[in-house]
Amino acid sequence: MKITSTIITLLLFSININAQDSLATKDDIGEVKGTIEGMNETITEMKNFVDIIRKIKWSGYIQTQYQTAESAGISSYAGGSFPANVNSRLQVRRGRIKFVYDQEITQYVLQIDITQNGVGIKDAFAMIRDPWIRTFSFTGGVFDRPFGFEISHPSGMRETAERSRLFQTLFPGERELGVKFEANAEEGVLSYINFKAGLFNGVLPTANENDRNKDFIGRAGFKIPFAEQNLSIDGGLSLYLGKVTTTSKYVYKMDESSPVRRYDVDSAAANIGKNFERNYYGADFQLYYDIPNFGGMSIRTEIITGKQPGTEKSNSFYYPTPTDATPKLYNRNFTGWYISYIQNIGLSNQFVMKFDVLDPNTDVEGNDIGIVGSNLTVADIKYSTLGIGWVYHWDMNVKFMIYYDIVQNETVNAAAAGALVNFKSDVKDNVLTLRMQYLF
Amino acid sequence: MFKNLMIILTILAFGFMMPGETITVKGSDTMVIFGQRLAEEYMLKNPNVRIQVTGGGSGTGISALINGTTDLCNSSRPMKKSEREKLKQRYATLGVEIKVAKDGLSVYVNDTNPVQELTLEQLKNIYTGNITNWKQVGGQDAKIILYSRENNSGTYVYFKDHILEGEDFVPYAQNMPGTAAVVNAVSKDKNGIGYGGAAYGKGIKFLKIKTDAKSPGFEPTPENIRSGDYPISRFLYIYTRTRPTGEIKKYIDWILSDEGQSIITKVGYFPIR
Repeated sequence: MKITSTIITLLLFSININAQDSLATKDDIGEVKGTIEGMNETITEMKNFVDIIRKIKWSGYIQTQYQTAESAGISSYAGGSFPANVNSRLQVRRGRIKFVYDQEITQYVLQIDITQNGVGIKDAFAMIRDPWIRTFSFTGGVFDRPFGFEISHPSGMRETAERSRLFQTLFPGERELGVKFEANAEEGVLSYINFKAGLFNGVLPTANENDRNKDFIGRAGFKIPFAEQNLSIDGGLSLYLGKVTTTSKYVYKMDESSPVRRYDVDSAAANIGKNFERNYYGADFQLYYDIPNFGGMSIRTEIITGKQPGTEKSNSFYYPTPTDATPKLYNRNFTGWYISYIQNIGLSNQFVMKFDVLDPNTDVEGNDIGIVGSNLTVADIKYSTLGIGWVYHWDMNVKFMIYYDIVQNETVNAAAAGALVNFKSDVKDNVLTLRMQYLF
Repeated sequence: MFKNLMIILTILAFGFMMPGETITVKGSDTMVIFGQRLAEEYMLKNPNVRIQVTGGGSGTGISALINGTTDLCNSSRPMKKSEREKLKQRYATLGVEIKVAKDGLSVYVNDTNPVQELTLEQLKNIYTGNITNWKQVGGQDAKIILYSRENNSGTYVYFKDHILEGEDFVPYAQNMPGTAAVVNAVSKDKNGIGYGGAAYGKGIKFLKIKTDAKSPGFEPTPENIRSGDYPISRFLYIYTRTRPTGEIKKYIDWILSDEGQSIITKVGYFPIR
């Protein structure tokens, strides 16, 4: 009996334990489920956060360089003029940081430039792409002017130290405040052509509008790849239709009736507030070809001609400043062009040669400049530059560049006086650049 | 002194000795397995050549090709125009595209899922969030759990371009780091659905895919992919920066040879010829 009751007790105890185990297991499973659900929520939150972070892309580069000029204090387009008495310098030529928030059909871009001269805005724009075929886009803010090829070829990738004198003169800073429409298909027949055009203030990159005119800038281009041959032929036609408004009553234009090439000045008070055409017509062409066993090569050329309203001292576009609020306006017909040859040698080396010409006043020759009474100035002198360089890509981030600019100016008339005297012969203004770039 | 100099020179000589040519291959996760198999076979036959194959996604591989950190890029999608532009900017070349295999992009569900087939439109609606429950496509009353790939994946890009027709994936689709991870997740989730290369499909159920509601459904079998009946098939590519030369050319020629193509077939993909 005692044994029986002991067995029954043990059985009951055992059942109780099993029941307790079962309850405990259910509780445990419930607890684990709760924990997993909690973890899932945390992971979902983290995923959302990571997805947002992934949309932010940032990149940048810094270009540190040493330059030596043929003579001190020269005016130069190889990264800016040298100060008086200075013939060599160390600079941070560009120090860029670019942030992009990319939602695929919308994009926010901010790029700043930090150098020894301070901090400046390079890009600040928003872009909206059509959500259906992702071919058309609309951009507003500060961004590259849609003209030609050289503006759109980024400085961090460029094989030459600087853009040509032509582009630096016509489009200082490359960018401008404006709005732009662009058509650029990713695939299909339409991918061979592209189009971009917009309206801009027509002033300096981040300057405020200074007149009642908006300038039209546009380019229609093509890119024809021959994949089998590893050859690509690209090109385009560009147009700039703009106006500047004079703040001075003195307006100069070439006197067509005079046997001597000279400016005629119109000084009617009614000239103040008048508009003058700033029109450029451009054509560009690029050829890319992979030379077997050697490397890819490219030949790029571009020509621009048109009307440029400038000032007495500058053949860049007419732009009153706080220090010179009423500059005299000089109307000039200009032409400029460049051709460059870039040869990749293996994966790390590039040889580059470039020749560019800017004739800021096609109505005059060098010998016309300096003749007494011609009113022609230093801004009418034609320049050509032969650049020769070598680029070595040390790794995916670092590259070194050695680049030599041989600058030649048109020589002026022997009777020239004042600021023109220096141009009776070729000015000693060649520049050697040694540059290191870190890009990430 | 002379002895020390000789020791240093000997160490330096060994240090700089070329161990043989190394080819780096980076890119598509879908192509990692067959890339490794090809590399192993080739290295067995050519012991002086070292081939390093890594994944990371087609986008990552193409970026590496542009940055100069890989010799070859495996990609499960064609290079985009914008990527070719970057190659042009840096190397003045368009890149060389070599089709090396064909792949059926499979859609997986758990073995226990009663759904057998989907149309392309249903698939699109599932991944864009218009269909959220299995019963809407003839299954049980259960929420559809979506498994997808990360956006640096060529498979992701292909699926988005060709199935979603450019539309965005729903934000709650879980992005997995590789096709193997998608298969693993779907095999453990009775309400899961995922997509990826055919070679990863072992152990789970492939759905038949129909071009539209009226057309018959096809499984991603070799016959259906070769014949073009299976509606989601694609080429797999190798890209080089410039025209391949030297050991790289020999390796690519070998991949395209009968021997190389037979290895591709063994791993579950389809030969290009």
